[in-house]
Amino acid sequence: MTKPIKVHLCPAGPNPWKVVLLLEELGVPYEINSFPFQEVKSKPYTDINPNGRVPAIEDRNTGITLWETGAIILYLIEQYDITHKLSYPDIKQRHLTNQYLFFQVSGQGPYFGQAGWFNVLHSEKVQSAIDRYNSELKRVLGVLDTVLEGKEWLVGDKITYADLSFATWNDRIDSLILCAPEDKFKGFLNVQAWHERMISRPSWATCMDKRAQLMDEQGLLPNGMPKGVSNMEEYEAKMKADAEASK
Amino acid sequence: MSQQPDITLYTTQTPNGIKVSITLEELSIPYKVQKLDISKNTQKEPWFLEINPNGRIPAITDTFTDGKTIRLFESGSIMQYLVATYDKDHKISFEPGTREFYEMNNWLFFQNAGVGPMQGQANHFTRYAPEHIEYGVNRYQNETRRLYGVIDKHLKDSKSEYLVGNKCTIADIAHWGWVASAGWAGVDIDEFPELKAWEDRMAARPGVEKGRHVPDPHKIKELLKDKAKMEQQAAEARKWVQAGMKDDAKKSQK
Ligand SMILES: N[C@@H](CCC(=O)N[C@@H](CS)C(=O)NCC(=O)O)C(=O)O
Ligand SMILES: N[C@@H](CCC(=O)N[C@@H](CS)C(=O)NCC(=O)O)C(=O)O
Repeated sequence: MTKPIKVHLCPAGPNPWKVVLLLEELGVPYEINSFPFQEVKSKPYTDINPNGRVPAIEDRNTGITLWETGAIILYLIEQYDITHKLSYPDIKQRHLTNQYLFFQVSGQGPYFGQAGWFNVLHSEKVQSAIDRYNSELKRVLGVLDTVLEGKEWLVGDKITYADLSFATWNDRIDSLILCAPEDKFKGFLNVQAWHERMISRPSWATCMDKRAQLMDEQGLLPNGMPKGVSNMEEYEAKMKADAEASK
Repeated sequence: MSQQPDITLYTTQTPNGIKVSITLEELSIPYKVQKLDISKNTQKEPWFLEINPNGRIPAITDTFTDGKTIRLFESGSIMQYLVATYDKDHKISFEPGTREFYEMNNWLFFQNAGVGPMQGQANHFTRYAPEHIEYGVNRYQNETRRLYGVIDKHLKDSKSEYLVGNKCTIADIAHWGWVASAGWAGVDIDEFPELKAWEDRMAARPGVEKGRHVPDPHKIKELLKDKAKMEQQAAEARKWVQAGMKDDAKKSQK
């Protein structure tokens, strides 16, 4: 029997949930080690991931430890997607799926992350940086919208690990660029329909419930902010005060 | 049945472009080169968007075993494709399913999702941004340094000549062009002795030497020694980078 795969994560960010979502879809047993964000760059976690980022996994079935969501996802697919629920046995389609996975981890993740940083997390408003990353976010959505024209999924006619890898970042576009939730896919209707297909799956609801619960345990609100802070201005003020205090 | 290569590489002289030409040279695979002129936005022309809807280099086409063309973009997935298809002897890769294979992928993704995007932002704020934003320069130079520190420590702790299993693989090749141009991002490679030694070790490989000069001579090392020329080159690049940004911004306001 498969022993549960250990997933190390901090609950707030989108990257760990890419991996949990995949495990849910595959029906592979796992256990979560949820820890506070403040500990991500220090031991003992850096013994598992020297890069000090989440997620990382430890698989006792094979003795393998991995970090980087892209590498984790490919590993889980090769080890546990024996029936090709989320992947293709065909080699050509396999490479095309990997191409989109790389596009997610190098094109969507880092740039969406910078958009969130300059719009929300960084206290000083640097307009040219905000414009740069907002426009890159839209550009990436535009590329996906073109690829999805007339199609339900990125590769072939079924959902794959590449589709799923885009969901957690796309889901929070409104909180990254501070737009109304109903506007987050404005102008990108193919992307919107595709995203809705994914989040209507039971695996998504399970992940979001788990996330809410783990956020709650750490006293964080669903938007990633600590309790007792009700809006962005207050959060910024609190972060600023914390930063001053730690100087 | 083993596949006969029929590869065309669409590329420009950049760190991401030479990942693929170095991989091809290391494997001694014949290939044609089609040079794209990023300064003229060729990568956004319809014929190329058919090959790569993301409008970036590198991309490749090849004739697949089914006799049809396969088009691939994303340097990481191109490298994985090349070793899966043409590196049956595991010259620059590991046997699929082994621990080393998964660790190689781990470091490959570290480059493509971490070092590449972050050093790319350092380049932007250091060389190309329309206005000087000290905060942006520092943020991304520091992150690049942090990532370099992770590799430096890994090389030291593992006492290995290369990132995984003491063998040069696509994980090393993916990093090399970026590390070789650290100075362009304002990062001093001398701060990272293990990484610097690794960079020289890589540079001494005939495949790296041959592949780095595709499609044009790789001149970053000489350039980094010449401050005036560096400034001149940055000024030229600024023009088309900013034109490209304006173009993207216009398109995104739909
Ligand atoms: N390229 C990495 C990115 C992972 C990542 O950035 N995770 C964030 C949370 S969503 C993190 O750990 N950040 C810690 C930090 O920035 O210090 C991957 O795909 O695994
Ligand atoms: N994640 C992509 C990044 C490719 C990339 O950014 N290429 C740059 C040159 S190094 C490019 O084509 N830029 C043109 C543009 O942005 O329009 C990969 O690894 O292939």
